[in-house]
Amino acid sequence: MGSEPIICVESLVKEFRRTKQQSGRFSAIRTLLTRERTVSRAVDGISFGIPEGELVGYLGPNGAGKSTTIKILTGILMPTSGTVHVAGIVPWRERKRNAAQIGVVFGQRTQLWWDLPLSDSLELVGRLYEIPPPRFRFNLKLFTELLELGPFLSTPVRQLSLGQRMRGDLAAAMLHSPRILFLDEPTIGLDVVAKERIRSFIYELNKEQGTTVILTTHDLDDVERLCQRVLLITDGSVLFEGDVESLKNMHTRERDLIIRLPPGSESIELANFASARIVDESGDLTRVRFNPQSLPITELVSFLLSKYAIVDFSVKEPELEEVVRNIYAARSL
Amino acid sequence: MACGVAQAKTVFAYRFDYVTSLLGLLFQLYVLRAVWSSIYRGHDSVSGVNLSTMVTYATLASFQNWLLNPWQFSLIPDRVREGRVAVDLVRPVGFVTQVVVAQVGRTAATLPFGLLLVPALAILGARTPVSATAGFEYALSLVPAYAIITLLSVVVGMVSFWTIELNGMIVIYWMISQFLSGTMVPLWFMPSLLRDFAKILPFQAFSYTPNAIYVGQIGAADAIGAIAIQLVWVALLYVLCVLIWRRAIRRVVIQGG
Ligand SMILES: Nc1ncnc2c1ncn2[C@@H]1O[C@H](COP(=O)(O)OP(=O)(O)OP(=O)(O)O)[C@@H](O)[C@H]1O
Ligand SMILES: [Mg+2]
Repeated sequence: MGSEPIICVESLVKEFRRTKQQSGRFSAIRTLLTRERTVSRAVDGISFGIPEGELVGYLGPNGAGKSTTIKILTGILMPTSGTVHVAGIVPWRERKRNAAQIGVVFGQRTQLWWDLPLSDSLELVGRLYEIPPPRFRFNLKLFTELLELGPFLSTPVRQLSLGQRMRGDLAAAMLHSPRILFLDEPTIGLDVVAKERIRSFIYELNKEQGTTVILTTHDLDDVERLCQRVLLITDGSVLFEGDVESLKNMHTRERDLIIRLPPGSESIELANFASARIVDESGDLTRVRFNPQSLPITELVSFLLSKYAIVDFSVKEPELEEVVRNIYAARSL
Repeated sequence: MACGVAQAKTVFAYRFDYVTSLLGLLFQLYVLRAVWSSIYRGHDSVSGVNLSTMVTYATLASFQNWLLNPWQFSLIPDRVREGRVAVDLVRPVGFVTQVVVAQVGRTAATLPFGLLLVPALAILGARTPVSATAGFEYALSLVPAYAIITLLSVVVGMVSFWTIELNGMIVIYWMISQFLSGTMVPLWFMPSLLRDFAKILPFQAFSYTPNAIYVGQIGAADAIGAIAIQLVWVALLYVLCVLIWRRAIRRVVIQGG
Protein backbone atom coordinates (compact mmCIF):
# COMPACT_ATOMS: atom_id res chain seq x y z
CA MET A 1 0.00 0.00 0.00
CA GLY A 2 2.66 2.47 1.03
CA SER A 3 0.34 5.38 1.79
CA GLU A 4 -1.06 6.18 5.22
CA PRO A 5 -4.25 4.30 5.99
CA ILE A 6 -7.32 6.54 5.98
CA ILE A 7 -8.57 4.96 9.18
CA CYS A 8 -6.13 4.19 11.98
CA VAL A 9 -7.23 2.53 15.17
CA GLU A 10 -4.76 1.71 17.88
CA SER A 11 -5.29 -0.12 21.17
CA LEU A 12 -8.87 1.00 21.31
CA VAL A 13 -10.70 0.29 24.54
CA LYS A 14 -14.26 1.13 25.49
CA GLU A 15 -15.64 0.30 28.88
CA PHE A 16 -19.26 0.72 29.78
CA ARG A 17 -19.98 1.62 33.35
CA ARG A 18 -23.46 0.63 34.09
CA THR A 19 -25.14 2.04 37.13
CA LYS A 20 -27.07 -0.69 38.80
CA GLN A 21 -30.75 -0.07 38.33
CA GLN A 22 -32.35 0.35 41.73
CA SER A 23 -35.77 -1.07 42.24
CA GLY A 24 -38.62 -0.19 44.50
CA ARG A 25 -39.75 3.21 45.62
CA PHE A 26 -38.14 6.32 44.09
CA SER A 27 -36.09 3.95 41.93
CA ALA A 28 -35.38 6.60 39.34
CA ILE A 29 -33.89 9.03 41.82
CA ARG A 30 -32.01 6.33 43.71
CA THR A 31 -30.57 5.04 40.45
CA LEU A 32 -29.38 8.55 39.73
CA LEU A 33 -27.68 8.87 43.09
CA THR A 34 -26.27 5.42 43.52
CA ARG A 35 -22.55 4.73 43.24
CA GLU A 36 -22.91 1.06 42.47
CA ARG A 37 -21.38 0.38 39.10
CA THR A 38 -20.63 -2.60 36.97
CA VAL A 39 -17.94 -2.30 34.33
CA SER A 40 -17.88 -4.22 31.07
CA ARG A 41 -15.37 -3.99 28.25
CA ALA A 42 -17.15 -3.82 24.92
CA VAL A 43 -13.95 -3.09 23.00
CA ASP A 44 -10.77 -4.51 24.45
CA GLY A 45 -7.63 -3.30 22.70
CA ILE A 46 -8.50 -3.30 19.02
CA SER A 47 -5.97 -2.07 16.43
CA PHE A 48 -6.30 -1.92 12.67
CA GLY A 49 -5.67 0.28 9.67
CA ILE A 50 -7.77 0.68 6.56
CA PRO A 51 -6.30 2.04 3.34
CA GLU A 52 -8.32 4.51 1.34
CA GLY A 53 -10.71 3.01 -1.17
CA GLU A 54 -11.01 -0.34 0.54
CA LEU A 55 -14.26 -2.12 1.30
CA VAL A 56 -13.82 -3.90 4.60
CA GLY A 57 -16.15 -6.31 6.35
CA TYR A 58 -16.23 -5.86 10.10
CA LEU A 59 -17.51 -9.13 11.46
CA GLY A 60 -18.14 -10.76 14.78
CA PRO A 61 -20.84 -12.48 16.79
CA ASN A 62 -23.54 -10.57 18.67
CA GLY A 63 -22.06 -8.38 21.35
CA ALA A 64 -18.56 -8.54 19.91
CA GLY A 65 -18.21 -4.78 19.96
CA LYS A 66 -18.79 -3.94 16.31
CA SER A 67 -21.41 -1.24 16.78
CA THR A 68 -19.42 0.21 19.65
CA THR A 69 -16.37 0.56 17.39
CA ILE A 70 -18.47 2.16 14.66
CA LYS A 71 -19.89 4.62 17.17
CA ILE A 72 -16.38 5.60 18.23
CA LEU A 73 -15.20 5.96 14.64
CA THR A 74 -18.16 8.19 13.85
CA GLY A 75 -17.41 10.34 16.87
CA ILE A 76 -20.59 9.80 18.84
CA LEU A 77 -18.95 7.78 21.56
CA MET A 78 -15.75 8.53 23.44
CA PRO A 79 -13.40 5.62 23.96
CA THR A 80 -11.98 4.81 27.36
CA SER A 81 -8.47 4.74 25.88
CA GLY A 82 -6.63 4.28 22.62
CA THR A 83 -6.18 6.44 19.55
CA VAL A 84 -8.30 6.79 16.45
CA HIS A 85 -7.75 8.83 13.32
CA VAL A 86 -10.32 9.05 10.57
CA ALA A 87 -8.77 10.87 7.63
CA GLY A 88 -6.51 12.61 10.12
CA ILE A 89 -9.30 13.66 12.46
CA VAL A 90 -9.89 12.42 15.99
CA PRO A 91 -13.61 11.79 15.60
CA TRP A 92 -14.91 12.62 19.09
CA ARG A 93 -12.77 15.74 19.38
CA GLU A 94 -13.85 17.25 16.09
CA ARG A 95 -17.21 15.65 15.71
CA LYS A 96 -18.61 18.18 13.29
CA ARG A 97 -15.59 18.16 10.99
CA ASN A 98 -15.57 14.40 11.06
CA ALA A 99 -19.30 14.34 10.28
CA ALA A 100 -18.72 16.30 7.11
CA GLN A 101 -16.37 13.68 5.70
CA ILE A 102 -18.18 10.50 6.67
CA GLY A 103 -21.52 8.93 5.86
CA VAL A 104 -23.24 6.63 8.32
CA VAL A 105 -26.09 4.17 8.14
CA PHE A 106 -27.23 2.51 11.32
CA GLY A 107 -29.42 -0.25 9.99
CA GLN A 108 -31.43 -0.33 13.20
CA ARG A 109 -32.44 3.30 13.13
CA THR A 110 -33.05 5.93 10.56
CA GLN A 111 -31.60 9.37 10.06
CA LEU A 112 -34.67 10.38 8.09
CA TRP A 113 -37.48 12.39 9.59
CA TRP A 114 -40.19 9.96 10.46
CA ASP A 115 -43.13 12.18 9.62
CA LEU A 116 -41.86 13.79 6.45
CA PRO A 117 -41.84 12.49 2.89
CA LEU A 118 -38.54 10.95 1.85
CA SER A 119 -37.82 13.75 -0.60
CA ASP A 120 -38.22 16.37 2.17
CA SER A 121 -35.88 14.42 4.41
CA LEU A 122 -33.26 14.25 1.71
CA GLU A 123 -33.60 17.93 1.05
CA LEU A 124 -33.15 18.72 4.74
CA VAL A 125 -30.06 16.55 4.85
CA GLY A 126 -28.81 18.57 1.89
CA ARG A 127 -29.25 21.76 3.87
CA LEU A 128 -27.76 20.37 7.08
CA TYR A 129 -24.61 19.36 5.24
CA GLU A 130 -24.64 22.54 3.18
CA ILE A 131 -24.31 20.56 -0.01
CA PRO A 132 -23.92 22.86 -3.03
CA PRO A 133 -27.17 22.67 -5.05
CA PRO A 134 -25.61 21.32 -8.26
CA ARG A 135 -23.92 18.47 -6.41
CA PHE A 136 -27.12 17.83 -4.45
CA ARG A 137 -29.17 17.55 -7.62
CA PHE A 138 -26.57 15.37 -9.27
CA ASN A 139 -26.35 12.95 -6.35
CA LEU A 140 -30.10 12.88 -5.81
CA LYS A 141 -30.67 11.98 -9.43
CA LEU A 142 -27.93 9.35 -9.39
CA PHE A 143 -29.12 7.70 -6.17
CA THR A 144 -32.77 7.83 -7.19
CA GLU A 145 -31.75 5.85 -10.22
CA LEU A 146 -29.36 3.40 -8.56
CA LEU A 147 -31.57 2.72 -5.56
CA GLU A 148 -34.87 3.08 -7.42
CA LEU A 149 -36.24 5.59 -4.97
CA GLY A 150 -38.63 7.14 -7.47
CA PRO A 151 -41.84 5.34 -6.53
CA PHE A 152 -41.74 6.35 -2.86
CA LEU A 153 -39.97 9.71 -2.82
CA SER A 154 -43.16 11.45 -1.73
CA THR A 155 -44.18 8.88 0.89
CA PRO A 156 -43.75 9.77 4.58
CA VAL A 157 -40.86 7.78 5.98
CA ARG A 158 -42.99 6.08 8.62
CA GLN A 159 -45.03 4.47 5.85
CA LEU A 160 -42.02 3.02 4.04
CA SER A 161 -41.17 -0.65 4.18
CA LEU A 162 -37.89 -1.54 5.86
CA GLY A 163 -36.18 -2.11 2.54
CA GLN A 164 -37.40 1.19 1.11
CA ARG A 165 -36.36 3.04 4.24
CA MET A 166 -32.91 1.49 4.17
CA ARG A 167 -32.44 2.62 0.58
CA GLY A 168 -33.55 6.10 1.59
CA ASP A 169 -31.09 6.04 4.45
CA LEU A 170 -28.24 5.00 2.19
CA ALA A 171 -29.03 7.84 -0.17
CA ALA A 172 -29.15 10.29 2.76
CA ALA A 173 -25.79 9.06 4.03
CA MET A 174 -24.11 9.54 0.68
CA LEU A 175 -25.69 12.83 -0.46
CA HIS A 176 -22.73 14.90 0.65
CA SER A 177 -20.27 12.58 -1.16
CA PRO A 178 -18.30 11.56 1.93
CA ARG A 179 -14.95 9.83 1.51
CA ILE A 180 -15.79 7.21 4.08
CA LEU A 181 -18.99 5.28 4.60
CA PHE A 182 -19.84 3.36 7.76
CA LEU A 183 -22.57 0.80 7.42
CA ASP A 184 -23.81 -0.94 10.56
CA GLU A 185 -25.97 -3.82 9.39
CA PRO A 186 -27.44 -2.19 6.30
CA THR A 187 -29.06 -5.40 5.07
CA ILE A 188 -30.64 -6.45 8.36
CA GLY A 189 -34.12 -7.82 7.85
CA LEU A 190 -34.21 -7.31 4.09
CA ASP A 191 -35.35 -9.75 1.44
CA VAL A 192 -33.00 -11.12 -1.20
CA VAL A 193 -33.92 -8.57 -3.84
CA ALA A 194 -33.55 -5.60 -1.54
CA LYS A 195 -30.24 -6.94 -0.25
CA GLU A 196 -29.00 -7.32 -3.77
CA ARG A 197 -29.95 -3.78 -4.66
CA ILE A 198 -28.14 -2.41 -1.64
CA ARG A 199 -25.09 -4.54 -2.31
CA SER A 200 -24.77 -3.38 -5.86
CA PHE A 201 -25.14 0.22 -4.72
CA ILE A 202 -22.34 -0.19 -2.20
CA TYR A 203 -20.25 -1.96 -4.79
CA GLU A 204 -20.77 0.86 -7.30
CA LEU A 205 -19.88 3.55 -4.78
CA ASN A 206 -16.70 1.83 -3.79
CA LYS A 207 -15.71 1.11 -7.35
CA GLU A 208 -16.77 4.28 -9.12
CA GLN A 209 -16.21 6.93 -6.47
CA GLY A 210 -13.51 5.18 -4.47
CA THR A 211 -15.47 5.53 -1.25
CA THR A 212 -13.87 3.70 1.66
CA VAL A 213 -16.51 1.46 3.20
CA ILE A 214 -16.66 -0.30 6.54
CA LEU A 215 -19.45 -2.79 6.58
CA THR A 216 -20.83 -4.56 9.62
CA THR A 217 -23.11 -7.45 8.88
CA HIS A 218 -24.22 -10.89 9.93
CA ASP A 219 -24.98 -11.79 6.35
CA LEU A 220 -21.91 -13.49 4.99
CA ASP A 221 -23.21 -13.28 1.46
CA ASP A 222 -22.72 -9.53 1.83
CA VAL A 223 -19.13 -10.22 2.73
CA GLU A 224 -18.44 -12.68 -0.06
CA ARG A 225 -20.02 -10.39 -2.60
CA LEU A 226 -18.43 -7.16 -1.45
CA CYS A 227 -15.49 -7.30 0.86
CA GLN A 228 -11.88 -7.32 -0.18
CA ARG A 229 -10.81 -7.79 3.39
CA VAL A 230 -12.41 -8.77 6.65
CA LEU A 231 -11.76 -8.00 10.26
CA LEU A 232 -13.19 -10.57 12.58
CA ILE A 233 -13.59 -9.62 16.21
CA THR A 234 -14.92 -11.44 19.22
CA ASP A 235 -15.22 -10.22 22.78
CA GLY A 236 -13.75 -6.90 21.81
CA SER A 237 -10.50 -8.19 20.29
CA VAL A 238 -9.38 -8.82 16.72
CA LEU A 239 -9.32 -12.51 15.94
CA PHE A 240 -8.53 -12.36 12.26
CA GLU A 241 -7.56 -9.75 9.72
CA GLY A 242 -7.08 -10.54 6.04
CA ASP A 243 -8.93 -11.46 2.88
CA VAL A 244 -11.88 -13.79 2.73
CA GLU A 245 -9.89 -16.59 1.11
CA SER A 246 -7.25 -16.73 3.80
CA LEU A 247 -9.91 -16.62 6.49
CA LYS A 248 -11.39 -19.73 5.00
CA ASN A 249 -8.00 -21.36 4.60
CA MET A 250 -6.86 -20.54 8.05
CA HIS A 251 -9.77 -22.05 9.81
CA THR A 252 -10.71 -24.89 7.53
CA ARG A 253 -7.74 -26.25 5.74
CA GLU A 254 -9.67 -29.23 4.58
CA ARG A 255 -11.63 -29.53 1.38
CA ASP A 256 -14.31 -31.98 0.40
CA LEU A 257 -14.08 -33.96 -2.79
CA ILE A 258 -17.44 -35.26 -3.88
CA ILE A 259 -17.30 -38.31 -6.11
CA ARG A 260 -20.09 -39.89 -8.10
CA LEU A 261 -19.68 -43.60 -8.81
CA PRO A 262 -21.73 -45.72 -11.18
CA PRO A 263 -24.66 -47.43 -9.41
CA GLY A 264 -23.80 -50.67 -7.70
CA SER A 265 -20.03 -50.20 -7.66
CA GLU A 266 -17.93 -51.16 -4.65
CA SER A 267 -17.14 -48.44 -2.14
CA ILE A 268 -13.91 -46.47 -2.13
CA GLU A 269 -10.90 -47.46 -0.05
CA LEU A 270 -8.44 -44.75 0.96
CA ALA A 271 -6.24 -46.87 3.17
CA ASN A 272 -2.89 -45.45 2.04
CA PHE A 273 -3.75 -41.74 2.42
CA ALA A 274 -3.26 -40.51 5.95
CA SER A 275 -4.79 -37.09 5.46
CA ALA A 276 -7.91 -38.13 3.57
CA ARG A 277 -11.00 -39.87 4.91
CA ILE A 278 -14.51 -40.63 3.86
CA VAL A 279 -16.97 -38.53 5.76
CA ASP A 280 -20.19 -39.46 4.01
CA GLU A 281 -21.52 -42.15 1.71
CA SER A 282 -25.04 -41.87 0.44
CA GLY A 283 -26.27 -43.67 -2.69
CA ASP A 284 -23.71 -43.20 -5.41
CA LEU A 285 -22.15 -40.07 -3.82
CA THR A 286 -19.05 -40.30 -1.68
CA ARG A 287 -17.62 -37.37 0.16
CA VAL A 288 -13.90 -37.45 0.82
CA ARG A 289 -12.38 -34.90 3.14
CA PHE A 290 -8.72 -34.18 2.63
CA ASN A 291 -6.09 -31.61 3.42
CA PRO A 292 -4.77 -30.07 0.20
CA GLN A 293 -1.57 -28.97 1.90
CA SER A 294 -0.35 -32.46 2.69
CA LEU A 295 -2.15 -34.20 -0.13
CA PRO A 296 -2.29 -32.28 -3.42
CA ILE A 297 -5.64 -32.65 -5.06
CA THR A 298 -4.08 -33.87 -8.31
CA GLU A 299 -2.49 -36.80 -6.50
CA LEU A 300 -5.76 -37.75 -4.83
CA VAL A 301 -7.77 -37.46 -8.01
CA SER A 302 -5.35 -39.36 -10.19
CA PHE A 303 -5.23 -42.15 -7.64
CA LEU A 304 -9.01 -42.38 -7.57
CA LEU A 305 -9.35 -42.20 -11.35
CA SER A 306 -6.87 -45.01 -11.80
CA LYS A 307 -8.71 -47.32 -9.42
CA TYR A 308 -12.38 -46.51 -9.80
CA ALA A 309 -14.82 -45.86 -12.60
CA ILE A 310 -15.71 -42.34 -11.57
CA VAL A 311 -18.65 -40.71 -13.34
CA ASP A 312 -18.20 -37.22 -11.99
CA PHE A 313 -16.46 -35.34 -9.21
CA SER A 314 -16.38 -31.86 -7.73
CA VAL A 315 -14.43 -30.02 -5.05
CA LYS A 316 -16.46 -28.16 -2.50
CA GLU A 317 -14.95 -24.96 -1.19
CA PRO A 318 -15.69 -24.30 2.45
CA GLU A 319 -18.55 -21.90 2.97
CA LEU A 320 -17.72 -18.72 4.82
CA GLU A 321 -20.88 -19.29 6.77
CA GLU A 322 -19.56 -22.59 8.07
CA VAL A 323 -16.10 -21.22 8.77
CA VAL A 324 -17.45 -18.38 10.80
CA ARG A 325 -19.86 -20.64 12.61
CA ASN A 326 -16.93 -22.83 13.61
CA ILE A 327 -14.92 -19.88 14.82
CA TYR A 328 -17.77 -18.48 16.86
CA ALA A 329 -18.53 -21.88 18.32
CA ALA A 330 -14.90 -22.47 19.24
CA ARG A 331 -14.77 -19.13 21.05
CA SER A 332 -17.84 -19.72 23.13
CA LEU A 333 -16.45 -22.96 24.61
CA MET B 1 -32.15 25.90 10.11
CA ALA B 2 -33.08 22.64 8.45
CA CYS B 3 -33.93 21.07 11.81
CA GLY B 4 -36.33 23.89 12.51
CA VAL B 5 -38.04 23.39 9.20
CA ALA B 6 -38.23 19.67 9.85
CA GLN B 7 -39.79 20.16 13.27
CA ALA B 8 -42.21 22.71 11.87
CA LYS B 9 -43.27 20.27 9.19
CA THR B 10 -43.70 17.64 11.85
CA VAL B 11 -46.12 19.94 13.62
CA PHE B 12 -48.18 20.17 10.46
CA ALA B 13 -48.08 16.42 10.08
CA TYR B 14 -49.82 16.30 13.45
CA ARG B 15 -52.06 19.33 12.94
CA PHE B 16 -55.05 17.29 14.07
CA ASP B 17 -53.44 16.83 17.49
CA TYR B 18 -52.78 20.54 17.67
CA VAL B 19 -56.35 21.41 16.87
CA THR B 20 -57.46 18.98 19.56
CA SER B 21 -55.14 20.49 22.12
CA LEU B 22 -56.41 23.89 21.06
CA LEU B 23 -59.92 22.83 22.01
CA GLY B 24 -58.52 21.55 25.30
CA LEU B 25 -56.95 24.94 25.90
CA LEU B 26 -60.23 26.73 25.16
CA PHE B 27 -61.98 24.55 27.68
CA GLN B 28 -59.26 25.21 30.23
CA LEU B 29 -59.55 28.97 29.71
CA TYR B 30 -63.30 28.77 30.15
CA VAL B 31 -62.92 26.86 33.41
CA LEU B 32 -60.27 29.31 34.64
CA ARG B 33 -62.60 32.21 34.10
CA ALA B 34 -65.39 30.42 35.94
CA VAL B 35 -63.09 29.63 38.87
CA TRP B 36 -61.76 33.17 39.23
CA SER B 37 -65.27 34.60 38.87
CA SER B 38 -66.53 32.45 41.68
CA ILE B 39 -63.54 33.33 43.88
CA TYR B 40 -64.28 36.98 43.26
CA ARG B 41 -68.03 36.70 43.88
CA GLY B 42 -69.01 39.51 46.21
CA HIS B 43 -65.62 41.25 46.03
CA ASP B 44 -64.65 44.06 43.70
CA SER B 45 -61.00 43.44 44.18
CA VAL B 46 -58.77 41.02 46.04
CA SER B 47 -55.34 42.30 47.20
CA GLY B 48 -55.99 45.34 45.06
CA VAL B 49 -56.53 43.34 41.87
CA ASN B 50 -59.91 43.38 40.20
CA LEU B 51 -61.58 40.49 38.43
CA SER B 52 -61.03 41.69 34.90
CA THR B 53 -57.28 42.09 35.51
CA MET B 54 -57.17 38.65 37.06
CA VAL B 55 -59.01 37.00 34.18
CA THR B 56 -56.78 38.77 31.67
CA TYR B 57 -53.70 37.53 33.50
CA ALA B 58 -54.94 33.95 33.82
CA THR B 59 -56.10 33.74 30.22
CA LEU B 60 -52.94 35.18 28.82
CA ALA B 61 -50.64 33.11 31.03
CA SER B 62 -52.33 29.85 30.05
CA PHE B 63 -52.38 30.78 26.40
CA GLN B 64 -48.74 31.78 26.40
CA ASN B 65 -47.88 28.61 28.21
CA TRP B 66 -49.69 26.50 25.65
CA LEU B 67 -47.94 28.29 22.84
CA LEU B 68 -44.40 28.58 24.12
CA ASN B 69 -44.06 25.80 26.62
CA PRO B 70 -45.71 22.75 25.14
CA TRP B 71 -46.27 19.54 26.98
CA GLN B 72 -43.83 17.61 24.80
CA PHE B 73 -41.44 19.79 26.65
CA SER B 74 -37.96 18.95 25.55
CA LEU B 75 -37.03 17.07 22.44
CA ILE B 76 -33.99 15.56 24.14
CA PRO B 77 -35.23 12.74 26.43
CA ASP B 78 -37.10 10.84 23.73
CA ARG B 79 -34.18 11.09 21.38
CA VAL B 80 -31.79 9.80 24.01
CA ARG B 81 -34.02 6.93 25.07
CA GLU B 82 -34.62 5.75 21.54
CA GLY B 83 -30.97 6.16 20.63
CA ARG B 84 -31.82 8.72 17.98
CA VAL B 85 -29.13 11.03 19.41
CA ALA B 86 -26.77 8.80 17.48
CA VAL B 87 -28.16 10.28 14.31
CA ASP B 88 -28.13 13.83 15.69
CA LEU B 89 -24.53 13.49 16.73
CA VAL B 90 -23.24 12.39 13.34
CA ARG B 91 -24.51 15.58 11.80
CA PRO B 92 -22.15 18.44 11.06
CA VAL B 93 -24.19 20.76 13.32
CA GLY B 94 -23.98 20.96 17.11
CA PHE B 95 -26.50 18.90 19.01
CA VAL B 96 -27.74 21.73 21.24
CA THR B 97 -28.10 23.98 18.21
CA GLN B 98 -30.19 21.33 16.51
CA VAL B 99 -32.44 20.95 19.53
CA VAL B 100 -32.91 24.68 20.02
CA VAL B 101 -33.60 25.32 16.35
CA ALA B 102 -36.05 22.43 16.29
CA GLN B 103 -37.90 23.85 19.29
CA VAL B 104 -38.08 27.27 17.72
CA GLY B 105 -39.36 25.67 14.53
CA ARG B 106 -42.04 23.88 16.48
CA THR B 107 -43.15 27.11 18.13
CA ALA B 108 -43.17 28.94 14.83
CA ALA B 109 -45.40 26.26 13.35
CA THR B 110 -47.73 26.36 16.36
CA LEU B 111 -48.10 30.11 16.02
CA PRO B 112 -50.79 30.08 13.30
CA PHE B 113 -52.92 27.78 15.46
CA GLY B 114 -52.44 30.24 18.29
CA LEU B 115 -53.46 33.22 16.20
CA LEU B 116 -56.75 31.49 15.46
CA LEU B 117 -57.40 31.72 19.14
CA VAL B 118 -56.84 35.42 19.69
CA PRO B 119 -60.49 36.41 19.09
CA ALA B 120 -61.55 33.70 21.51
CA LEU B 121 -59.21 35.13 24.14
CA ALA B 122 -60.97 38.49 23.84
CA ILE B 123 -64.38 36.88 24.13
CA LEU B 124 -63.23 34.98 27.22
CA GLY B 125 -62.46 38.30 28.89
CA ALA B 126 -58.83 39.13 28.14
CA ARG B 127 -58.40 42.91 27.99
CA THR B 128 -55.89 44.95 26.06
CA PRO B 129 -52.66 45.89 27.90
CA VAL B 130 -53.03 48.60 30.55
CA SER B 131 -51.04 51.04 28.46
CA ALA B 132 -49.19 51.23 25.19
CA THR B 133 -45.90 51.19 27.12
CA ALA B 134 -46.99 48.09 28.98
CA GLY B 135 -47.92 46.46 25.69
CA PHE B 136 -44.53 47.25 24.26
CA GLU B 137 -42.66 46.08 27.34
CA TYR B 138 -44.77 42.92 27.37
CA ALA B 139 -43.78 42.12 23.80
CA LEU B 140 -40.17 42.86 24.67
CA SER B 141 -40.17 40.62 27.73
CA LEU B 142 -41.59 37.71 25.75
CA VAL B 143 -38.25 37.33 23.97
CA PRO B 144 -36.15 36.54 27.04
CA ALA B 145 -39.14 34.59 28.40
CA TYR B 146 -38.99 32.29 25.42
CA ALA B 147 -35.22 32.01 25.69
CA ILE B 148 -35.58 30.99 29.34
CA ILE B 149 -38.20 28.37 28.53
CA THR B 150 -36.05 26.90 25.81
CA LEU B 151 -32.84 26.91 27.85
CA LEU B 152 -34.61 25.32 30.80
CA SER B 153 -35.99 22.60 28.59
CA VAL B 154 -32.53 21.89 27.21
CA VAL B 155 -30.93 21.85 30.66
CA VAL B 156 -33.58 19.56 32.10
CA GLY B 157 -33.66 17.43 28.96
CA MET B 158 -29.92 16.86 29.17
CA VAL B 159 -30.36 15.09 32.48
CA SER B 160 -31.45 12.18 30.32
CA PHE B 161 -27.81 11.65 29.39
CA TRP B 162 -27.30 10.58 33.00
CA THR B 163 -30.52 8.74 33.59
CA ILE B 164 -32.48 7.31 30.75
CA GLU B 165 -35.87 7.13 32.40
CA LEU B 166 -36.70 10.73 32.91
CA ASN B 167 -40.44 10.82 32.33
CA GLY B 168 -41.50 10.68 35.97
CA MET B 169 -39.07 13.43 36.87
CA ILE B 170 -40.22 15.57 33.99
CA VAL B 171 -43.80 15.37 35.16
CA ILE B 172 -42.79 16.48 38.63
CA TYR B 173 -40.56 19.20 37.26
CA TRP B 174 -43.32 20.34 34.97
CA MET B 175 -45.86 20.71 37.76
CA ILE B 176 -43.46 22.50 40.10
CA SER B 177 -42.28 24.88 37.38
CA GLN B 178 -45.85 25.59 36.30
CA PHE B 179 -46.76 26.53 39.80
CA LEU B 180 -43.66 28.55 40.63
CA SER B 181 -43.80 30.36 37.30
CA GLY B 182 -47.08 31.91 38.36
CA THR B 183 -48.98 30.40 35.47
CA MET B 184 -51.66 28.88 37.69
CA VAL B 185 -51.70 31.42 40.50
CA PRO B 186 -50.05 34.81 40.08
CA LEU B 187 -47.23 35.59 42.49
CA TRP B 188 -49.19 38.37 44.14
CA PHE B 189 -51.66 35.84 45.54
CA MET B 190 -48.97 33.58 46.96
CA PRO B 191 -48.13 33.57 50.68
CA SER B 192 -45.11 35.83 51.13
CA LEU B 193 -42.72 33.00 51.95
CA LEU B 194 -43.66 31.11 48.81
CA ARG B 195 -43.53 34.28 46.78
CA ASP B 196 -40.01 35.04 47.94
CA PHE B 197 -39.03 31.50 47.07
CA ALA B 198 -40.57 31.78 43.61
CA LYS B 199 -38.78 35.06 43.05
CA ILE B 200 -35.30 33.61 43.42
CA LEU B 201 -36.07 30.93 40.82
CA PRO B 202 -36.02 31.37 37.05
CA PHE B 203 -39.55 30.10 36.47
CA GLN B 204 -41.39 33.32 37.28
CA ALA B 205 -39.25 35.10 34.68
CA PHE B 206 -40.93 33.30 31.80
CA SER B 207 -44.56 33.51 32.84
CA TYR B 208 -45.22 35.91 35.69
CA THR B 209 -42.95 38.69 34.44
CA PRO B 210 -44.44 39.25 30.98
CA ASN B 211 -48.03 38.78 32.08
CA ALA B 212 -47.74 40.95 35.15
CA ILE B 213 -46.25 43.67 32.95
CA TYR B 214 -49.19 43.30 30.58
CA VAL B 215 -51.83 43.79 33.27
CA GLY B 216 -49.87 46.52 35.03
CA GLN B 217 -49.01 44.61 38.19
CA ILE B 218 -45.41 45.32 37.33
CA GLY B 219 -45.45 49.04 36.56
CA ALA B 220 -43.95 50.51 33.41
CA ALA B 221 -40.88 51.72 35.31
CA ASP B 222 -40.29 48.46 37.22
CA ALA B 223 -40.71 46.52 34.01
CA ILE B 224 -37.26 47.54 32.81
CA GLY B 225 -35.74 46.02 35.93
CA ALA B 226 -37.83 42.88 35.51
CA ILE B 227 -36.64 42.48 31.95
CA ALA B 228 -33.05 43.00 33.10
CA ILE B 229 -33.55 40.15 35.58
CA GLN B 230 -34.89 38.01 32.76
CA LEU B 231 -31.74 38.72 30.79
CA VAL B 232 -29.60 37.72 33.74
CA TRP B 233 -31.46 34.43 33.83
CA VAL B 234 -30.91 33.92 30.13
CA ALA B 235 -27.18 34.44 30.63
CA LEU B 236 -26.99 32.16 33.68
CA LEU B 237 -28.99 29.40 32.05
CA TYR B 238 -26.92 29.65 28.92
CA VAL B 239 -23.72 29.17 30.89
CA LEU B 240 -25.30 26.28 32.79
CA CYS B 241 -26.38 24.77 29.52
CA VAL B 242 -22.87 24.91 28.08
CA LEU B 243 -21.35 23.45 31.24
CA ILE B 244 -23.81 20.59 31.38
CA TRP B 245 -23.40 19.85 27.70
CA ARG B 246 -19.62 19.62 28.07
CA ARG B 247 -20.08 16.98 30.70
CA ALA B 248 -22.97 15.29 28.94
CA ILE B 249 -21.07 14.73 25.73
CA ARG B 250 -18.51 12.75 27.66
CA ARG B 251 -21.29 10.72 29.21
CA VAL B 252 -23.09 10.01 26.00
CA VAL B 253 -24.09 6.41 25.85
CA ILE B 254 -25.91 5.58 22.70
CA GLN B 255 -28.64 3.07 23.29
CA GLY B 256 -29.03 0.14 20.96
CA GLY B 257 -26.61 -1.49 18.60
N1 LIG C 1 -25.06 1.55 26.15
C1 LIG C 1 -24.47 0.47 26.64
N2 LIG C 1 -24.34 0.31 27.97
C2 LIG C 1 -23.75 -0.78 28.46
N3 LIG C 1 -23.23 -1.78 27.73
C3 LIG C 1 -23.32 -1.69 26.40
C4 LIG C 1 -23.95 -0.56 25.78
N4 LIG C 1 -23.89 -0.72 24.44
C5 LIG C 1 -23.27 -1.90 24.25
N5 LIG C 1 -22.93 -2.48 25.41
C6 LIG C 1 -22.24 -3.78 25.56
O1 LIG C 1 -21.08 -3.79 24.78
C7 LIG C 1 -20.92 -5.00 24.12
C8 LIG C 1 -20.73 -4.78 22.63
O2 LIG C 1 -21.90 -4.25 22.07
P1 LIG C 1 -22.04 -3.89 20.54
O3 LIG C 1 -23.35 -3.22 20.36
O4 LIG C 1 -20.83 -3.15 20.11
O5 LIG C 1 -22.06 -5.32 19.86
P2 LIG C 1 -22.17 -5.70 18.32
O6 LIG C 1 -20.89 -6.33 17.96
O7 LIG C 1 -22.62 -4.54 17.53
O8 LIG C 1 -23.29 -6.81 18.38
P3 LIG C 1 -24.50 -7.11 17.39
O9 LIG C 1 -23.96 -7.99 16.34
O10 LIG C 1 -25.44 -7.84 18.27
O11 LIG C 1 -25.02 -5.81 16.90
C9 LIG C 1 -22.11 -5.86 24.46
O12 LIG C 1 -21.74 -6.80 25.42
C10 LIG C 1 -23.12 -4.89 25.01
O13 LIG C 1 -23.86 -5.49 26.03
MG1 LIG D 1 -24.38 -4.02 16.45
